[in-house]
Amino acid sequence: MKIELIVSGVCPFCLEAEKVWRVAAADHGFEFVVLDIAQPEGAALAQRLNLQTVPALLIGGVLRAVGVQSPEEALTLLHSPRQEAHDRMQQMGFAFSPDNRWFILTAQVYLMLAGLGLLMNSSFLSDNAARPAFMHLFTLGFMLFMIYGLASHMLPRFTGNPIREGSWPWLQMGLAHCGVIGYAAGYLAGRHTLIVVGAVLTWLSLAIFAFRVWPVLWPEEA
Amino acid sequence: MHKRNRLFVSIALVYGLLGGLIAIVRLIDPSLIPGNVPRAHGHIMLLGFILMTIYGIALHVLPRFGGFPLYSEQMADWQLYLANAGLPLMIAGWLGWRDMLVMVGGALTYGAIVLFGLNMILTVRAGGRGRVIPVQ
Ligand code: HEM
Ligand code: HEM
Ligand code: HEM
Repeated sequence: MKIELIVSGVCPFCLEAEKVWRVAAADHGFEFVVLDIAQPEGAALAQRLNLQTVPALLIGGVLRAVGVQSPEEALTLLHSPRQEAHDRMQQMGFAFSPDNRWFILTAQVYLMLAGLGLLMNSSFLSDNAARPAFMHLFTLGFMLFMIYGLASHMLPRFTGNPIREGSWPWLQMGLAHCGVIGYAAGYLAGRHTLIVVGAVLTWLSLAIFAFRVWPVLWPEEA
Repeated sequence: MHKRNRLFVSIALVYGLLGGLIAIVRLIDPSLIPGNVPRAHGHIMLLGFILMTIYGIALHVLPRFGGFPLYSEQMADWQLYLANAGLPLMIAGWLGWRDMLVMVGGALTYGAIVLFGLNMILTVRAGGRGRVIPVQ
């Protein structure tokens, strides 16, 4: 496996990180590459990862950490059992990762839909059966999605602990979209089964979110 | 991140899952849970899930954005106790048709809201106590 460290010439900590990882890589027989962010290879990689901070560490092509690690932390990262793509622990960078960017972006779409719906519901339609639909476009589509995006982005950085990434956030997102849309459509179409299915899917997305965030708040070592 | 703030976020997650579950049960069979279930669900979600997430994250990040330490850690601790004493009473009151319980729980919950509001105002206000956050 390959260990890549992205560094910058103007970053005083990068030398420290390079020392730690050069030793750790040699000890474990990994290939070790240092990439300068000012050079084309480093810049291209940093751009692909949306990287805003150095030093940044990739193990097997996956962004695993930013900042300087102690030799002990380096060892833990190398031996972390969670290497599989579907259950990956990952640090968050300064910029939004694509999953969190999409949570935030789509939250705004739901906000506009909800506002429009409530406005039309009270002004043009006298029947209020659709009220839970528009209210949950707001509470689920906007509030819940904002919490998904912001909390997954901020909590790993507040605590310094990695979060479950890989396909988990996308599964959470897919369930949430299907859930909210199904739930709202169920009320609008008067289809009770659709409401229940939407409710259950939304709940599952919340359960995945809790599963991802829990180890950020309560890491195993602590 | 302070343990109390992590507790706020963790408890919020539990309330979120619980509130969702109650709503699902209600959808499947309204007779399974007695009382004013929509109202209880709404407030478990808004006071338990959303507000407690905001509490935990705001208590952590607003002092840092403001450049001053939190005005009072003790106020924030009491905020945690009051919020979590009040909401269960409110829920019990709604599910048991006991307005008195809702009122008492509501007063405790409101106490937490006021503690949070004052703490934040005194923290973020320019020139607070003027202590600079130590590095780390
Ligand atoms: C364009 C923006 C908005 C419009 C036009 C709007 C309009 C409405 C209307 C007409 C209702 C009553 C629905 C009914 O009972 O049939 C309602 C309810 C509600 N709105 Fe808004 N609203 C907007 C934004 C917001 C925002 C920003 C929030 C929260 C921060 C919010 C929170 C709520 C809540 C929680 C209810 C449910 C209250 C109830 O039980 O009636 N709304 N809104
Ligand atoms: C798993 C996700 C959720 C499900 C399955 C769900 C389902 C429901 C259902 C079935 C109702 C009753 C609708 C009616 O017949 O009047 C309801 C009401 C409500 N929900 Fe949700 N909901 C969810 C998430 C949320 C969230 C995250 C919030 C707030 C942030 C929220 C806020 C409310 C409010 C304020 C009401 C109205 C309560 C009332 O009428 O007093 N819900 N929800
Ligand atoms: C101290 C805290 C709180 C207390 C004691 C409280 C109490 C109540 C009570 C007694 C009602 C029923 C009013 C009626 O009979 O029409 C109510 C409705 C409502 N509350 Fe709260 N509440 C609190 C905080 C909140 C917060 C923080 C939110 C939103 C973020 C919220 C959102 C709502 C909504 C949307 C309704 C209307 C539900 C509906 O009409 O179906 N409440 N609340």
